Amino acid sequence: MPRQAAKVKSRKNPSKFTKTIRNHGKDALNSLLRMARTPLSSTMTIVVIAAALLLPSLLFSLNANISQLLAQFQNNARVVLYLNESTTDSRGIEVSESLLTLSDIDSAAFISSNEALQDFSSAAGFTDIVAELDKNPLPSSIVITPNLNAMEGLDQLAETLQAIPEVDLVQVDSQWLRRLAAISDLIELVARILGLIVVLSLCFIVGNTVRLHIENRRDEIRIIKLVGGTHSYIARPFLYTGFFYGIIGGILAGLLQAAVFLAFSDSIATIARLYDSSFQLQLLTPVILISLALAGGLMGWIAAMIAAYRRIGAINP
Amino acid sequence: MIRFDNVSKQYVSGQNALNAVSFEIAKGEMAFITGHSGAGKSSLLKLILAAEKSTAGSVIVNGSDLSKLRKRDVPFLRRRIGSVFQDHQLLQDRTVADNVALPLDISGFDRRDAQRRVRAALDKVGLSGKEKQYPAALSSGEQQRVGIARAVVNRPAIILADEPTGNLDPELSAEIMAVFEQFKNVGVSLLIASHDISLINQMDYRTLVLKEGQLIGDTGRGES
Repeated sequence: MPRQAAKVKSRKNPSKFTKTIRNHGKDALNSLLRMARTPLSSTMTIVVIAAALLLPSLLFSLNANISQLLAQFQNNARVVLYLNESTTDSRGIEVSESLLTLSDIDSAAFISSNEALQDFSSAAGFTDIVAELDKNPLPSSIVITPNLNAMEGLDQLAETLQAIPEVDLVQVDSQWLRRLAAISDLIELVARILGLIVVLSLCFIVGNTVRLHIENRRDEIRIIKLVGGTHSYIARPFLYTGFFYGIIGGILAGLLQAAVFLAFSDSIATIARLYDSSFQLQLLTPVILISLALAGGLMGWIAAMIAAYRRIGAINP
Repeated sequence: MIRFDNVSKQYVSGQNALNAVSFEIAKGEMAFITGHSGAGKSSLLKLILAAEKSTAGSVIVNGSDLSKLRKRDVPFLRRRIGSVFQDHQLLQDRTVADNVALPLDISGFDRRDAQRRVRAALDKVGLSGKEKQYPAALSSGEQQRVGIARAVVNRPAIILADEPTGNLDPELSAEIMAVFEQFKNVGVSLLIASHDISLINQMDYRTLVLKEGQLIGDTGRGES
């Protein structure tokens, strides 16, 4: 019995929180319905927002893919030690085996000068030329696979190896990896700057749209002010409008990005195959989609807030 | 409920809308304010709604001095005042019921509670059954009554009306005045701006006469 009484009471006099939630829900729904009532202009605004978000997002994703690629190649990085001419094959094998005790090295393979010459002649079809040589010009070498993740470590390792007396020259084939890493850094910087510009332009796009919405409903706002509507009551539906524009624009940007990547995926897969890589372009991860949608929604909300409070304050009953 | 102490209002353009106007309207009192157009009636009502600020003197509404009222408190002042306008000021894209419910919606009323109050308010102005219609489908007199229903739905302490019978024939005007009298009888203070002299004379209530911003006549609490 007392429980029933409480139930009736709660229905009649809901808490402030319940009221707020209910009002917000109603305003959100009304904003959506209003957007649906002007499909052309709503669509155009959303497409513009999506296009603006797409550019930095594409760059960030491109960069993420390059980083993934870099990590993959870094694991495959090889270091070649060319040995002195005076080093005998047996000494070379000894050095090679001693290298395996270093923790940074996964594998080390000794290639004698004769083996190198055989490889060279068969691989390159230089059999005739090799036959004419009276002396083997190739040195013995040791090919090492390091197990390092960072480029810096590789440099140190190279220095250590150079100190071995039998080693004539250390060749680290990391130059192009370094270049790629530098390009990747540059892309990230550009993406950041572009992101900043996009944030600003989105504020203008959404702010301007919200301003137009407010102008269209000037009379309504005047009347609501006359009967005691607070600024936040009046602004709320417009904030939802900005929020929805942003969030839908963000989702659309994510889908567009997937489409762009899909268009590239075939050619990239071909290149990856040629390079013997298992690299795969990441199409659309949920993380990207969610962060795009949230970023768009948040920006839309803030931009609408700035625009709405200024415009609404300027309308006098 | 409403007190004006030597209130003057000068617009930025230099126009003197009100000049040292003083009067007081008690709780449960109904008064007319009359005068030619441009005499300052609208300015006076705007001052009470805090839509304008007085240049000099003090306006006290519902116990609060409007010159000291903070901007963010203005909406809460207006929620205690029901306003009726000559041009109705209804939202054309909302139904009659939604229009009347607007003040309740603003105050965050429970929907069920609001519906009950809206029905009661519409019943009082004789518009039961028109809840679902849109304002454009109603006659001018009916629209005015929707405006009155909206003004009273929140049970305000004060009702302000600016030419509420401006577009209505005498019969409808009398009806609307009868509605206003009902509210007076339950303790609401009413201030009605009108230049419908015959109607005012017929009603025999206190009348304030404005001329070029000055209060040139006040019949006092004429109600016997």
